[in-house]
Amino acid sequence: MTDTLYRLVYMSRNDITDEIELQIGGILEISRENNRRAEITGALMFNAGCFAQVLEGPHHAIQATFERIQCDERHSNVTVLLFEPLDARVFSNWAMAYVGTQAAAEQRFGHLGHDSGFEFDTLDGNEIFNVLRANLHDAEPA
Amino acid sequence: MSMIDSVTELEALATGIAIIDGDNVITYANTTFARRLNIEVLPRRLTDITLPEARSRDLLEWQLRDIGESALTIEIAPGRTLTFYIGARRDDQRMVIVASGWPRREESTLDLAAQLDPLTGFGNRLMYAERLRELEATGARCAAVLVIDLDHFKQVNDTLGHGAGDELLVLVAQRIRASTRGNDTLIRLGGDEFVILIPEEKRREGLEALAARLVNLLGRPFLVNGHQINIGASIGIATLVGDSEQLQDLLRHADLALYEAKHQGRAGHYVFQSQLEQRAFDRRAFEVDLRRALGLRQFTLHYQPQTSIRDERVIGFEALIRWEHPTRGRVSPLNFIPLAEEIGEIASIGRWVIRKACEQAMTWRDERLIVAVNVSPAQFVDDTIIDVVRDALAHSGLAPARLELEITEGLFLDESEAIMRRLWAIQELGVAIAIDDFGTGYASLGYLNSFPFSKIKIDKSFIQAEPSPRASALVSGILAMGSNLGMATTAEGIETAEQYHQLEQEGCSSAQGYYIARPMPADQIADFLDQFAPPTAQAG
Ligand SMILES: Cc1cc2nc3c(=O)[nH]c(=O)nc-3n(C[C@H](O)[C@H](O)[C@H](O)COP(=O)(O)O)c2cc1C
Repeated sequence: MTDTLYRLVYMSRNDITDEIELQIGGILEISRENNRRAEITGALMFNAGCFAQVLEGPHHAIQATFERIQCDERHSNVTVLLFEPLDARVFSNWAMAYVGTQAAAEQRFGHLGHDSGFEFDTLDGNEIFNVLRANLHDAEPA
Repeated sequence: MSMIDSVTELEALATGIAIIDGDNVITYANTTFARRLNIEVLPRRLTDITLPEARSRDLLEWQLRDIGESALTIEIAPGRTLTFYIGARRDDQRMVIVASGWPRREESTLDLAAQLDPLTGFGNRLMYAERLRELEATGARCAAVLVIDLDHFKQVNDTLGHGAGDELLVLVAQRIRASTRGNDTLIRLGGDEFVILIPEEKRREGLEALAARLVNLLGRPFLVNGHQINIGASIGIATLVGDSEQLQDLLRHADLALYEAKHQGRAGHYVFQSQLEQRAFDRRAFEVDLRRALGLRQFTLHYQPQTSIRDERVIGFEALIRWEHPTRGRVSPLNFIPLAEEIGEIASIGRWVIRKACEQAMTWRDERLIVAVNVSPAQFVDDTIIDVVRDALAHSGLAPARLELEITEGLFLDESEAIMRRLWAIQELGVAIAIDDFGTGYASLGYLNSFPFSKIKIDKSFIQAEPSPRASALVSGILAMGSNLGMATTAEGIETAEQYHQLEQEGCSSAQGYYIARPMPADQIADFLDQFAPPTAQAG
């Protein structure tokens, strides 16, 4: 079980109020460092309202990373949308790709947090996953 | 390290001293330490030292998981024990001191291993008792205890297995550890109950803030064994700066507060107040009375008629339990049924009700009349309910088709296959099953499709709601759904002619409520049937 690769998709409410760019930069920096070591790949999406993140990796690594992430006070209402074994990594080149400020992402994803009133349960993990994947080509290299 | 200034002094000590980093790798060891543990080269993990028993290494590992200060005595060679004093972790560093012939104080237990919970690395009951003794010896004035109980943990164990349950407990322990301070004592009392013993917290607000943080953290999702798990936690708090006077009372008081927290709806915390003791006392007295009630024949059944709206005739009666207590007077089922469920008394009370209802229905002269009996979800936890129904039918000789069990949506909250199996088994006996209080539960409607229920009983709150487009839309919706699914609909709690006629127009099948008749004792049924005049006749 622990060696199987898993994919996790979650959304959360952004609680960062100031110096957002700086904070996100910090999150990406530490994520890339930690994730590379833990054999985790994935992507992070961000807009004013919420975060969406995909993590891929061994079960125990995802578990440990997710424990840290969700205790992070910079966000809340962390809702898991998808957690399942995967056949092949989609984000294999990214320790943590960032697709936050892309116009395309904003268009497809920007409304999500507000529309759902941060009740993410009704959202589809696969849809979020696909939005992230679709915007990967614009992502800055990790 | 400020107490020992120079490295030479350290080297000369007869006590072994080492510094370890966050991964338990020894970064410095004085010669005594190296000699005592046979270490030749550094860096090396402290847990990689040679020990005669694997169990000793496990103990050391568990102990090191605790970032607070602790001590552990283990055997490092046959017949030779060594005590490890492990300092609190600071900036990813901690000091480890080893000495033999310690602990010196008689009262501290030689075998710290016996005080540890192997799963989480927390202490167990013994450690709690030991720490309490220490606090007592130092005359602690502001100690506090938090008792944390996980909601829905049993379901995790039942559905995903004990392995998943254990993994979850480890993650829970980690979250608790991350929220507490080094000098707090963390205890797992067993099962899913955790205790935090805080030696010093002068402010009640501080404790409440900690409890709120823990409730929040433990309410967040866990990833275990390939599953996402959501549990929650309830917390009881007792503190010497609050209503608890003695250290010995803290755990008991925190437990009482926990009980209160759970009863106020889960996922919250509650601080012990002295009146909880009185409340617990009253509850115990009530419990004792309830346990005796059956034996003392204090229960009776009353019957409320159900009529067919179209045929204007009585189709049966719902049996309603009454408890008449010599000093308490008439106690409402709303008060005693939840307690009966909690203390397990519901099984015998429920059996009595089914048996009695079947017996009394046999005395009714119209053999078409059905008798409806309420059953609690607590009666469905095992297969007993099937035998209870079968026995009641056999014992009374009642035709199975005349018995109807009324269950509530609450039964489907945890969509268990076992529950469906039991329902089917009862259905196979020829007994009908109706949904009671429809519309008040939180269950998804999917269950309606999975079983041929005989009836949907619309909760009285819908019937008695202030007339509004919204209220009537809800009722019409339920009635339409019933007819689409081929299930009869009964409206409960009808009190006025308006309500009755409205339901009649909308095609509701049957009616129950004060407008037709109040519940009556069994011996008034014959007269009632003789004199029954249909509501339309009354109105017209
Ligand atoms: C939205 C969001 C996503 C994050 N993603 C990651 C991640 O993928 N990997 C990671 O190591 N930390 C991530 N972090 C940061 C962690 O929460 C945490 O701050 C970091 O791992 C450092 O933890 P530590 O201070 O306990 O060492 C994320 C934080 C936020 C708010």
